[in-house]
Amino acid sequence: MMRTFRGGLLIGLAVAVLVAVLATIYEFYDTRTLKRTVRRGEVLCGVNKGLPGFSIPDDKGNWSGFDVDFCRAVAAAIFNDPGKAKFVPLDASERFKELQSRKVDILSRNSTWSMKRELDYDLYFPAVAYYDGAGFMLPRSRNKETSLDLTGSKVCVQSGTTTALNVADYFRVNNMKYDEMKFDKLDDVVKAYDTGKCDTLSADVSQLYALRLNLSKPGDNMILPDMISKEPLAPVVRQRDDDWMMIVKWTLYAMINAEELGVTSENIDEALKSKKPEVMRLVGTEGNYGEQLGLTKDWAARIIRHVGNYGEMYDRNIGEKSKLKIPRGMNQLWNAGGVQYAPPMR
Amino acid sequence: MTDFRRLTGIFMAAMGMILSAPQAFAQQPDRGDEPGLIADDGYQLDPEWQKQVVYYRTTEPPGTIIVSTAERHLYLVQPGGRAIRYGIGVGRDGFQWQGLVTITNKKEWPDWTPPAEMIQRQPYLPRFMAGGPGNPLGARAMYLGTTVYRIHGTNRPDTIGTKVSSGCFRLVNNDVADLYDRVPVGTKVIIRQKPEL
Repeated sequence: MMRTFRGGLLIGLAVAVLVAVLATIYEFYDTRTLKRTVRRGEVLCGVNKGLPGFSIPDDKGNWSGFDVDFCRAVAAAIFNDPGKAKFVPLDASERFKELQSRKVDILSRNSTWSMKRELDYDLYFPAVAYYDGAGFMLPRSRNKETSLDLTGSKVCVQSGTTTALNVADYFRVNNMKYDEMKFDKLDDVVKAYDTGKCDTLSADVSQLYALRLNLSKPGDNMILPDMISKEPLAPVVRQRDDDWMMIVKWTLYAMINAEELGVTSENIDEALKSKKPEVMRLVGTEGNYGEQLGLTKDWAARIIRHVGNYGEMYDRNIGEKSKLKIPRGMNQLWNAGGVQYAPPMR
Repeated sequence: MTDFRRLTGIFMAAMGMILSAPQAFAQQPDRGDEPGLIADDGYQLDPEWQKQVVYYRTTEPPGTIIVSTAERHLYLVQPGGRAIRYGIGVGRDGFQWQGLVTITNKKEWPDWTPPAEMIQRQPYLPRFMAGGPGNPLGARAMYLGTTVYRIHGTNRPDTIGTKVSSGCFRLVNNDVADLYDRVPVGTKVIIRQKPEL
């Protein structure tokens, strides 16, 4: 009698241990990010520690920015609550490894999409969120309209950056002479430009708009519309997790399509009553795309309601309604002067 | 001579406004048109509405004007994937339109004869006002096709970026003069609207 009881206890214990071990292994090896995210109840977003307009915390720890809002959009699609996005600040050097080791679900951290990065780290950049590139800032009084007019200029640039290489290439292929003034620290580059030691400053255009804010007379300086290199900034996910990749990709495309169709956070309720097939498919009153993604019918409506369409996200953080005031430029929709183009949702 | 015309215009406008003031306030006062007010040349536009060269990809040839009503911007297409962008004021809700037209006429310091429909809606407006700094059409006007609409200047630079007009597109006087010198009669003008739900 005693033996059977002890035996039963042992078997029970063994089963319990086995279940615990299996659960741990499952948790560790289950690579399906959507399931992990839902179980956890939040999306872990790897973001920049502090980049004005893109991702920056205030003194109370509230994050804001374009990259931050994109991650909130993913959280809104899954949980109908943008507050379910948790932000994990990551350094540039560690960001891809941290994503690989599943410390975060998604990287939304002004990262340039390149072939090498996808191959080296087994990662995937689902879609371009922001087209950036190296450009030039110069005093308005110089009255230039294109970077091809910059021949003979003294160019201030940070040493060791791809910008320095791009500037060298650009002036060489266009047979233009220039003097390069390199500085190790970005602060010194800006100071040299602000005190008139060089005629123009080169950096990524999004960065130029941020740097301009700190000049002694921001309004006296302009940024040329040309970009001399390709820096497509995109969210990043792990390879071989297609369900998750699809959610991230179509979150961005839903926001771009919403702007194209004129659906905003302000008129979303009206849009839910629309009889236009394209609008109906977007907001989920027709079709079952949401369910096919593993979400709900109204996944895109949730995104638009809580975060807005692409243009709203742009204007609020980096565009005309923000401090940076970066013109839409290449990031304008394809039918309004830019190259932002989302595949149709049908 | 010009000064006399201007004075007459201002006088007529002022009389018109005084005579029609009670009706004007009974109706919805139109903050977009203020005949007689002299434009403040020192007015600083927000950066969003200041003239600037921007990246602009289009299949339309250089020299084409593209008006984006929703954005409140007017683009003059330039070679090399760029455009000169101006801030504009556009029509109120219900007074916006879209389509393809050409510039059919150009006038400096145009006189203003508000069209009959406008008088009907806003009876307090003058029937005629001579060109000058107090004229709501501002420094220049470009006629759009056979419509009653114009691209014109303004004596209310603070209305740039808003939707207040009866369907015209207004720029600040410096900008409209700049645009005027760049576009000939016959220029293609495309007016784009926000999509409908």
